[in-house]
Parts: sequence; structure tokens; C-alpha cells
Amino acid sequence: MHVFIIETILLLLLIATGIFALTSKDLLASIILFGGFSYFAVLTYLIVGAADVAFTEAVVGVVSTIYLVTALNKLKRRCR
Amino acid sequence: MKKYAALLTIALAFVFFYAAGDLPQIGDKDSPANVHVSPRYIEDAMEEIGSPNLVTGVLADYRGYDTLGETTVIFIAGIATAMILRGKKEGDDAE
Amino acid sequence: MKPGFISFVLDTAFRVLVPFTLVYGVYVLIFGEYGPGGGFQAGTALSVGVILSKLIQGKEKAQFNIRGSMALILAGIGTFIYAAVGFTTMIFGGKFLEYEFLPIPVHELTELHVWGILGIEIGVTICVMTTFIAIFSALTGEEGPFKDA
Repeated sequence: MHVFIIETILLLLLIATGIFALTSKDLLASIILFGGFSYFAVLTYLIVGAADVAFTEAVVGVVSTIYLVTALNKLKRRCR
Repeated sequence: MKKYAALLTIALAFVFFYAAGDLPQIGDKDSPANVHVSPRYIEDAMEEIGSPNLVTGVLADYRGYDTLGETTVIFIAGIATAMILRGKKEGDDAE
Repeated sequence: MKPGFISFVLDTAFRVLVPFTLVYGVYVLIFGEYGPGGGFQAGTALSVGVILSKLIQGKEKAQFNIRGSMALILAGIGTFIYAAVGFTTMIFGGKFLEYEFLPIPVHELTELHVWGILGIEIGVTICVMTTFIAIFSALTGEEGPFKDA
């Protein structure tokens, strides 16, 4: 039952960070919220018991955040 | 147009949640995915491969050919990205 | 002031983060058969180490540096290592990637699986690591367009 409550909280946080990342005006804040999205995805995978998938998601979240910030550095504008 | 897109998304989400009710529970031992080939992997992998991590054993030994394909796909993705980003721009020279 | 020193915060971050990340990547590669991990995760951790080194110290003076064109060549070599393990078992009489036929002297037959898995994980690690580095250096545009494009 406790696992079910934790899962529900994590999934709600996942949806909330996803919606905020999509609707944020600032692109850098959007990227950082995407990192938070990936972090909650890692926690969700760990709760379900998939350690390898969680590990992969963690490292890929780091790399994709680096790529997005690097691509943002090349853009002229910082907000949508 | 945006209204139709939102309506379509909501309808698809309704269909998805309706269908998700028929999926088996997580960890159900009688679900179709867990009765055919999974028990053989779980029981025999330690003797046949000698790797305590089942995921690595399946990925690198039983499904080695698939992993070769994945590696090739990653390599091709890297080459394609480098070619697109490092190729010549439109107005670089007058060819 | 010694070369490669930018600021106190960045230098300390480099000293703490980068060697730990690289050693952790190698640990994940070798320990991947006994715990969570494997080739893809190890390669990504190693590439994060090299990319952080390039970000902090600049593309010229980075201590752990792999240039973009060299990274693409190394990615091909990593894929080749994977395929070479498979063709080695084919040469010595087995099927593709059938590790019982590897020409390594061992006591038990399952040890050959461990050596074979380690070999192909090294290939996957090199390929993934250098592919991510190549994409990063193409994104930053550090080498310009191809010469003969």
C-alpha cells in the first residue's frame, strides 16, 4: 500500500514537471524542468524495480541536459 | 484547429485508459509475458552464462545479435548528426 | 597561475567531478555483470566525464580530450570490436557470438561467457562514449565543416 502511495505521488510529480516544462516561458527553466522530469522518471523506475533502466535513464538525462543547454547557447533568444 | 487537436487527444487518452484496464498487473506470474520464455532465462541463466545480473546476461548473451544492431544504430546516429551539423552551409561557397 | 586554471569554482568542480566520473564509468563497465550497469551506461558516464572536461577547460587545453573527428573513428572501432568477437567465435568453429569457442584457456566453460561478455561490453562502451562526444563537438561546432564535404 505504501508503495502504491509513493508511486502515485511520483507519477503526479512526473506529470506536473512535464506540464511546467512544456508551458514555461524561459527556455533554460524549461530545460532544467526537463532534468527534473528525468529525475522523477528514475525514481519511478526504481520503485517498480528496474534498476538497469533507472541507471540508463539517469545517465541519458544528464547527457540530454548537456546537449540542450549547448544548443540553447547557440540560439539568439532565451524565451519563447 | 487547436480545439479539434485537444478533442482528439482527450478521445485517444480515454481509449488508452479504457484499454489499460485489461493489462495484467505488474509482476503477475500468470501473465503471457511471464509464462513462456522468462522462466527458462531465470532458472538456467546462472548455469549457462555465469552472470548474476540477468539483464546483462540476456542483453549480451541470449540477445547478442540485437545488441550488435543497437550499437550499429547508435554509431549511425552519431555519423548522421555529425554530417548534418558539420556539413557545409547553404551559402558557404559559390558552387 | 598554471595553465588550464580558469576560476576557483570551476577548477574545484573539475578536480572533484571529472576523475570520479571517469573511474565510475570504468567500474560500471567491469562490474556490469554483477550489478546494475553495462556497456551503454558505462559509455555514457565516460562521455559525461570527457564532455565536462571539455566544457570546463576549453576544447584546446582539456586534460581528457577526444576531438570530434577522432571520436567518429573511435566509434567505428568500437562497433568493429563487437563484431570482431562474433567473427572470432565463427573462425574457431562456432556460430556468431557463441562464446564457448573463444580461444582463451580457462578451467570452466562458463568463464568463456564472462570473457566474451566483457569483450563486447568494451566495444559497446567505446562506441557509445565516442558517439556522444562526436555529437557534442558537432553541436558546439568546434571543428567547422568537413574538409571534403
